[in-house]
Amino acid sequence: MLQLTPQTIRIIDVYDDGTHARHFTFEPKSFVHDEAISIGQFFMLTLPGAGLAPFTYTSIPDKAGRFNALIRNVGHLTKQLFSLGKGDILGYNGPFGRGWPVELVNHKEVLIVAGGCGLAPVASAIDYLINNGSSNSVTLLYASFDIPSQVLKKERVRWSSSINLFETLEVGGESDHCGLPTQYLSQLCNEDDGYPDIVLTCGPEPMMMAVAKSCVGLGLKTSDIWMSIERRMRCGVGLCGHCYVANSYACKQGPTYRYDEFMALENKTVAFEKYQGLYQYC
Amino acid sequence: MIEVNNMLNNKFLINDLDVLKYHLTKCYSVVQIQKDVNGQELWTEQLGDKRPPLFGHDHLPLTSPKGFLFAEKEVLYKFDGETFETILPQVQPKVLFGVQACDLSAIAYQDKFFEHDPYYQKRREHILLVGIDCESPCASGFCVEVDAGPHVKDNTADLVLSRLSVDDTNDSSNWLMIAQTEKGVNSIKDMMLDKADNMHLKERRKMLEKVRSEFVDYSYIRNAIEYLNSNSVPAQLWEELSVRCLGCSGCTNLCPTCSCYSTYEVVDKKTVTPSSISNEVKLEVTQSETIRCWDSCLFEGFQKEASGHNPSQKAGQRVERFWFHKFSDEYLPEFHRYGCVGCGRCEQTCPGSIGVHSVMKRIDQQCCS
Repeated sequence: MLQLTPQTIRIIDVYDDGTHARHFTFEPKSFVHDEAISIGQFFMLTLPGAGLAPFTYTSIPDKAGRFNALIRNVGHLTKQLFSLGKGDILGYNGPFGRGWPVELVNHKEVLIVAGGCGLAPVASAIDYLINNGSSNSVTLLYASFDIPSQVLKKERVRWSSSINLFETLEVGGESDHCGLPTQYLSQLCNEDDGYPDIVLTCGPEPMMMAVAKSCVGLGLKTSDIWMSIERRMRCGVGLCGHCYVANSYACKQGPTYRYDEFMALENKTVAFEKYQGLYQYC
Repeated sequence: MIEVNNMLNNKFLINDLDVLKYHLTKCYSVVQIQKDVNGQELWTEQLGDKRPPLFGHDHLPLTSPKGFLFAEKEVLYKFDGETFETILPQVQPKVLFGVQACDLSAIAYQDKFFEHDPYYQKRREHILLVGIDCESPCASGFCVEVDAGPHVKDNTADLVLSRLSVDDTNDSSNWLMIAQTEKGVNSIKDMMLDKADNMHLKERRKMLEKVRSEFVDYSYIRNAIEYLNSNSVPAQLWEELSVRCLGCSGCTNLCPTCSCYSTYEVVDKKTVTPSSISNEVKLEVTQSETIRCWDSCLFEGFQKEASGHNPSQKAGQRVERFWFHKFSDEYLPEFHRYGCVGCGRCEQTCPGSIGVHSVMKRIDQQCCS
């Protein structure tokens, strides 16, 4: 039987990152994860009195079970969460879903395109690649709205010494670091400098779709592009129905989808006009 | 369910269903179709009163018995300030007495969907299903088109009742009763019953053939299912249909297979001084309960995320989603049937007249022309 009741975790550290986001370090209270957590999986947080919602691991649990999450203050649940501090207790269910295909990524040319808080779900993948000696083959294209909305500053500083890091801002960037991430893809995927073997992208859904489409236009295969989809969720185990993508549930078959699989799902229903207008970084 | 169709001695004759019901009340409380004070026919738990149950084709009630298995609202767990505690439902054995084939097919569908849900299964294991063969098509029903009726499908009920004949002289009927599961066999094992034989089974088959032949032509439903699955219904048609969707959730509430839910919190909290980390007022929860309740994919906010991003922003997308979930072949490998059991309740209840018949007719007409 599924266990819908959360286990108890405690906040043991918090610090702000950018203007709207905050790092939380959680520690399990009298439980251990009985299964290994894959990079890119997610968990459900129950905030007593406020509700429950899915969040990503910015770092997967260490030996003591401690893990981090970068959380943006964006709705009523996160507003309540931001009012909590060290020592406060929350509910936790997880890990859930399918993570990044790290076994495919190792020792390959990897392009990671992240937008806003979409950097959080790829952070542990970047750390994994660096720790596995693959840093030379990793490029991170990080796009944000403006400087205050950039996240994971400490990590980006650390990463910049080992991976190829390129940043762009929609507002306030210098001339060669401004605009949308799609503007820079041709620079990063071309015949002279070589195509990436695999692309991982996470950010606002319209951004991921635009990135994937551009990559395909530049000559990449749809099966070499992976994305992490965000959906509203109320369970994490394929019951509540909220996170549907055609006949799949993002909490089970996702949140990581291969672009061709995702498009095949999308094509099972009619294409309504969407992804129009500017996308908002989350 | 354990298949006992091949079991010997599982077919009986009975001419007084009250005797059966009385026998079952020794172990089960009775849930049956009854009229409420407004004359609405609903699945109702019989509490003391002895109003007669309503049976058969004339009485497909507005509600299905879904709520007795997948509760409309139930506590999942509670928080006492330190830990979370599972609250499984406290349930007494119940018999759902006289469930039609469509609703039984829906229960079988939900049994599969909620196979690992401890709340559903706790209720389910305490329920005995007494099914009943329909004797003629009901007003909106098209169970024949979706393999859900009119006769009770194998292994969807514990006991199946099928009326063989009516004795007008004393207003009584002769019923064939088939125990389809071990649970069904056990529920009647102390009863003194006459055995039925192959002749009675033949009579049942004959009656069912007659009922099947009485259904009107629902070829537009067959055609529309085909169009839906070839993805040839244009977005514009979904948008036109969706103008009539009020987002009232009538269809999803009454649909016996709809299973989407949301959660909310009931809380006993007190306000305390803000802690050092934040300027927000900190709400210290002393005790809370997490409750789940039926939700609807037709609500605008069903998929809306905190950021404002809504993958199903357009009403047309949501209407299409509902019908995709009911008729897409994509679900067949998992459920071995469509998500629609042909009860027609959505048609009866939809204030915008976009229930199943209206929608399927429209698809058939538009995509044919």
